[in-house]
Amino acid sequence: MKQFFTLFLLLSLPVALLFSQTQISGEVLSREENTPLVGVSILEKGTQNGTLTDENGGFSLNISTTEATLVAYMNGYQSQEVQWTGEGTLRIYLVSVLDLEEVVIVGYGSQKKSDITGAVASIPEERLERVPNTNFVQALQGAIPGISITQNSAGAEGNNNSIVVRGRNSIAASNGPLIILDGVPYGNNIAEINPTDIASIEVLKDASSAAIYGSRGSNGVILITTKRGSGKPRLTYSGYVGNQSIANKPRLMTGEEFYEFKEVREPGTITLTEQNNFEAGNSTDWIDLATRDGFQQQHTLSVSGKVQGTSFYISGSYLGVEGIAVNDKLDRYSTRFNVEQKIANWLSVGTNTQLSLTDRSGVPADFDDAFFMNPLTNAFDTLGNILVTPWPEDPFFANPLQRTLALNDDQSYKVFSNNFLQVDFPFLKGLAYRLNTGVEFQSRKQGTYYGRNTQIGQQVQGRADVRNRTYLNLIAEHLLYFNRDFGKHTVGLTALWSFQSDKYEDHSFRGTGFPLDNLTYFQFESAGLITSDQAATESNIESQMGRLNYSYDSRYLLTLTGRKDGYSGFGENRKYGLFPSVAVGWNIAEEAFLDKLDWLSTLKLRLSYGQNGNQAVGPYQSLARLTTANYLNGTATAPGYRPSSLASPDLGWERTTTTNIGIDFAIFNGRLQGSIDRYQSQTDDLLLERRISSVHGVQEVTQNIGETENKGLEIGIQAIPLQISGFQWSIEGNYSFNRNQIISLVNDTTDDLVNRWFIGQPINVNYDLVFDGVWQEGDDIANSAQPDALPGYAKIQDVNGDTLINAEDRTFIGSRQPDFIWGLNNTFSFQGFSLTVFLHGVHGVTRENPLAEDNVWIEVRRNSLYREYWTAETPINTYWSNNIRANTQNANIYEDASFIRLKDVTFSYQFPTNIVSKINLAGLSVYINGRNLKTFTNWTGLDPELSSQRAIPLQKVVTVGAKVNF
Amino acid sequence: MKPIHSYIFLLILGLIILAGCRDDFLDELPPHIISPESLYQNAEGFQAGLNGLYALVRQERSGRRRGSSNDLMISAAIIGTDNAYANWRAGIGLLFNEMGTRSTPRHGFYRDMWNWLYEVVNAANTIINRAENPNIDWPEEEKNRVLGEARCLRAWAYRHLTYLWGDVPLNLEESGFVIKTDWVRTPVADIRAQMEQDWLFAEEHLPDVPAIEGRLSKVVAQHYLAELYLALGEDQMAKEKALAVIDNGNYSLITERYGVKASEPGAPFMDMFTDGNSNRAQGNTEALWTFQLESEVLGGEGHNIMRRWYVQRYWSLEVSGKNPIEISEENGGRGLGRFGPTRFAIELYGPGDDRGEQFAWRYYWIINHSDLNQIPLGWWIGDTLWIDWKNQINEPDREPEWPCIRKWESPNPLDVTASRQYDDQVYLRLGETYLILAEAQFKLGESEAAAQSINFLRDRANASPITAADVDIDFILDERSRELWSEEHRRYTLIRLNKWVERTQLHNSRSGQVLDPVRDRLLPIPQDVIDANTSLDMPQNPGY
Repeated sequence: MKQFFTLFLLLSLPVALLFSQTQISGEVLSREENTPLVGVSILEKGTQNGTLTDENGGFSLNISTTEATLVAYMNGYQSQEVQWTGEGTLRIYLVSVLDLEEVVIVGYGSQKKSDITGAVASIPEERLERVPNTNFVQALQGAIPGISITQNSAGAEGNNNSIVVRGRNSIAASNGPLIILDGVPYGNNIAEINPTDIASIEVLKDASSAAIYGSRGSNGVILITTKRGSGKPRLTYSGYVGNQSIANKPRLMTGEEFYEFKEVREPGTITLTEQNNFEAGNSTDWIDLATRDGFQQQHTLSVSGKVQGTSFYISGSYLGVEGIAVNDKLDRYSTRFNVEQKIANWLSVGTNTQLSLTDRSGVPADFDDAFFMNPLTNAFDTLGNILVTPWPEDPFFANPLQRTLALNDDQSYKVFSNNFLQVDFPFLKGLAYRLNTGVEFQSRKQGTYYGRNTQIGQQVQGRADVRNRTYLNLIAEHLLYFNRDFGKHTVGLTALWSFQSDKYEDHSFRGTGFPLDNLTYFQFESAGLITSDQAATESNIESQMGRLNYSYDSRYLLTLTGRKDGYSGFGENRKYGLFPSVAVGWNIAEEAFLDKLDWLSTLKLRLSYGQNGNQAVGPYQSLARLTTANYLNGTATAPGYRPSSLASPDLGWERTTTTNIGIDFAIFNGRLQGSIDRYQSQTDDLLLERRISSVHGVQEVTQNIGETENKGLEIGIQAIPLQISGFQWSIEGNYSFNRNQIISLVNDTTDDLVNRWFIGQPINVNYDLVFDGVWQEGDDIANSAQPDALPGYAKIQDVNGDTLINAEDRTFIGSRQPDFIWGLNNTFSFQGFSLTVFLHGVHGVTRENPLAEDNVWIEVRRNSLYREYWTAETPINTYWSNNIRANTQNANIYEDASFIRLKDVTFSYQFPTNIVSKINLAGLSVYINGRNLKTFTNWTGLDPELSSQRAIPLQKVVTVGAKVNF
Repeated sequence: MKPIHSYIFLLILGLIILAGCRDDFLDELPPHIISPESLYQNAEGFQAGLNGLYALVRQERSGRRRGSSNDLMISAAIIGTDNAYANWRAGIGLLFNEMGTRSTPRHGFYRDMWNWLYEVVNAANTIINRAENPNIDWPEEEKNRVLGEARCLRAWAYRHLTYLWGDVPLNLEESGFVIKTDWVRTPVADIRAQMEQDWLFAEEHLPDVPAIEGRLSKVVAQHYLAELYLALGEDQMAKEKALAVIDNGNYSLITERYGVKASEPGAPFMDMFTDGNSNRAQGNTEALWTFQLESEVLGGEGHNIMRRWYVQRYWSLEVSGKNPIEISEENGGRGLGRFGPTRFAIELYGPGDDRGEQFAWRYYWIINHSDLNQIPLGWWIGDTLWIDWKNQINEPDREPEWPCIRKWESPNPLDVTASRQYDDQVYLRLGETYLILAEAQFKLGESEAAAQSINFLRDRANASPITAADVDIDFILDERSRELWSEEHRRYTLIRLNKWVERTQLHNSRSGQVLDPVRDRLLPIPQDVIDANTSLDMPQNPGY
């Protein structure tokens, strides 16, 4: 429709010229990129007089009056009205919006957003572009309703994130979504995708949109599309440099505090080294020694454009991170070629290819050790060398810094290539065939040597580890499309037949007992003992899929899909699964009876129902397996095996059925728009990693049994509350919650205590004895459930009141499932300046905090958090006394792990074109970003988000960056 | 290109697609996975299964979390008895010194030991069940030997289970793919009947002497049968089985010095505990069964922590604020001294008894520290530092000032400070068979013969001979402690003779004061096992 309109404008141009008296000239630029926009429609308001911008974003328009209002608009941008008062050159900035008219990538194709019937969310591109992400997952956190990203551990690579779309479905199988990069399933290691190459990210959340990925869609699908070339060829540089520092350093005991603590807990156990250090006033802060100021930088150069029939995007990028943990490094070199060539009217071919080298060499200090290490011991000898045994009286304790002395090389090479060929059949309009092939090949080699200057090496006379892994994923997809309009009927048909094959090999070798350290890991021939661990997996998937999209008059929408998958990893009788879905949509705003409501531009109701699978158990899980258990014949190896797993011949698909109701709306000319989705999903044939009675001789088995349910609500809102004379305040916010519960288990409705699975409860619960304060002087201890307790001992809640503390007193403590999560992005922009503040929050989570529990071992050989203990003089109720018998029942400390994090603050400036053009640039913008600047929480551990509380701390990052268009 | 090209192009494409189809695309052919079906095909496969079973059994002397070097797996059979306690105020040490509220069904130690024993049972059951496969082509003799070894070890696992937990589920089937949630605790008597059958089968089919060091022979089955018959009150049969071992002709007590350190000062009794002396081929005629370990050989790593647990942490002995004893080979490597003898156990030895003298126990250390800063004023290298244990009122629970046994000294050849050891170790020996015989004889009223059986052991240790009048059950228990301290499953013996409560209360100043005479006779069934038995209530042992 718009094209037609544009054509009309073009045709009417000569006519308009005849009557022209005044010529307006100007240019249109993108607000975000400060780059010229090509093909923007410029229309004199109230007339049919208009034009399009040229290759340089420039336009000129003749008007018949001396004053006029011009309207500039283009797909994907907010239309803009400008007053022309008869003077000078106009510069119009267009702000891109999450316009409902934009085209959204869906599985195996793309669709107009207004035609979509499922729940699909897109990441604002700014989240990708103007924050220094080392991987794309960081950009997703808090950005989309219903998707929960948890950073499990910190570090240079920062890729240990769990991604959960709409809660956990599966108990045992992976809950991570399927990632599709340029149409091809992406195997592993998200850090090896360069985020600056990404043009868009879409998340398919409901059954209908994910159903086309069938057996792998039940945890949602993330579609990543890399940049394409368009317009005039141009060279772009973007990059940043930044500093990393510790966001939160827990307060451990100093040497002096540790000494006093130890004297109270276990008098007379101070050793000579501790005594000497105490007397000399020495105290070693092991966390300080294990950390440093980190540094982070990325530089990307790209060329993109479209020349004749060739569109291209070529980039080269370097990412370097020196993490806050000493010796924690990441270097990524990557290059991308995205080229599409039109060979004939009916034939085009192309490739989207990334080559990368990721270097993770270097082993960071051991943080678990650093948190626990006695502060009254010495890290270095008098020459400044790292001591093998910081505590000579107790050589069990290795130096937490020992790993930094290891020689470690770790390189990963990857080719990820998607190649396609498209045939638009000349004999039938709308019919097309596409061949899509994908290759992902990764080879990672690691070599490590621990010499005699480390405890690891000293105990075995040098230890060399060599590990080589290869991963190969091949995919071939045959796709047939038929898209055609028949009057008001629009029909889209997609058919798929695909094969995918994954092969993984892992060969690792360990050698010990070397005569010398010099040859490091290149001396296996002189090893005293070589052990190896080798693994290989191969799995194949064969699929057929069909999809019908039908719409009538853009008002009534229907999507039908069905997918059949076969997976080699399942038992003989259950290899294939069929996953259907149906979805309908109604664009209410298009109805005639709402025409009068000018302020309403979009109102759409969506309803979908469908099934997905989860195949995410590894290959060979259905077979009984034996484990190596060698013995000896004299002094020689006697190869041996023992049973280690049970067979599971009926292992099959896990199946999730989801119903989704959603509303999309846009009002006040798009200044307030959003989506609300309500969903309910039920997962049957759960893949369970089930603990069984150890009388079997095996303690776990993978099985399909049970049902879980997820219910939730997701709200995403974009608004522009304020827009006056160049100043704009825009908000993107999202809010979601998910309620997960187990419906049934192995024995129908019996709770499974050993696995901590309870009917009606979420999959993950805190189920434990309850720490109920501290026994105080005067309490009736003798008649309590803990008659042998003394004042100052931990009180355990006698839940069933039988005056006995035992397994019956375990109960639920809080919830590990958040009440809700949210993200809020505020952007204030004025004349090229822009300030973005992004907040992310998780609320209502209770977790065990191991850092809050002193775990100092017998004779106080480990450090702990500095804290107040119960004493007769200060009879607190929050922690027991400093006494080895104060917590014999092992009460654990649970805390509220809710938090609000100031995730990103970005201040940027786009130089005006007239300044930029003076230095012969097409565009220039600079920014400063701060990440993880502040976290609001009651959690007393390292970080409420990290899974281990004695690990590399979360980093605070401040970067400055620039983007230059030449 | 012309449109006609598109048809040719598509035709070629179509042919390529069709040619690419494979029928076996979804079949699984794992190249590296061993399954029971592929292993138990022939005699070699069964031997590999037995090797795996021996490797599991060897974990008795490893840490309870397999591979970790803490919490000796067999702790429950050793400490919390009349003759042993934990010189250690944490973990399992506190558990068995203090029992009480610490001893809960949720304690990870109970779970880990139970899991391990049922892994042994399942590994044995898998061999026993699959040996009946008629498609295997092997001589009957070979099959019976394999069955004999597997059944002997299955009964061995149930011996542990019944002494510690009483009635336990009797599982005789390989765990295939049927998952049971209704296990029933089988009465001890029924389990013992099965153990008897298993050992009788092993006795019939195993050789007099194992073909390979460390494997089972007939005498092991006979030794355990003798002990089982004592438990069943079948004293005559116990005597016969014990005599069958003693009269076998291939085994005899070590009465003379031998082996790698024969020329150094020492005692015959201790020679078999020296690295290089423990196997038959090395001259040890007394060993009925040894555990095999080897440094830097695949299959040699047993994660054995006997030294760590029994050798004292002498390196933390303090004199005037210094630690003058350094970890060294002469001192037996690095120990933690977690388990120690009760005062009663040390004082049991009469004068001149080799088993209580300096070659069997460390009562002193020689100052040796290479860092002269650690030599206290007034002392010098080579001085003898005696342990002042006699003046300590009770057994210490965190002091290195306490004697320690020397049976498990074995420095790691690569690093004296390392945690694990690699010496082959005596697991079962004829000395104990004599004590089983003495007990049977005493109960049959043959005190004279009992005294004689005991005197065989006392003679070789230079202890004064005893007479029939000296013999009673307590004396036999004392003698067992003198002879077998740290080797014997002391708790089992005491439970068998109904002496655990009485003697532990009398002689163990720690657990003796706190034990619950009813509850603590048996360990609690691990909570996980009760929790996983979802379709049938599994009763817990009384009192927990």
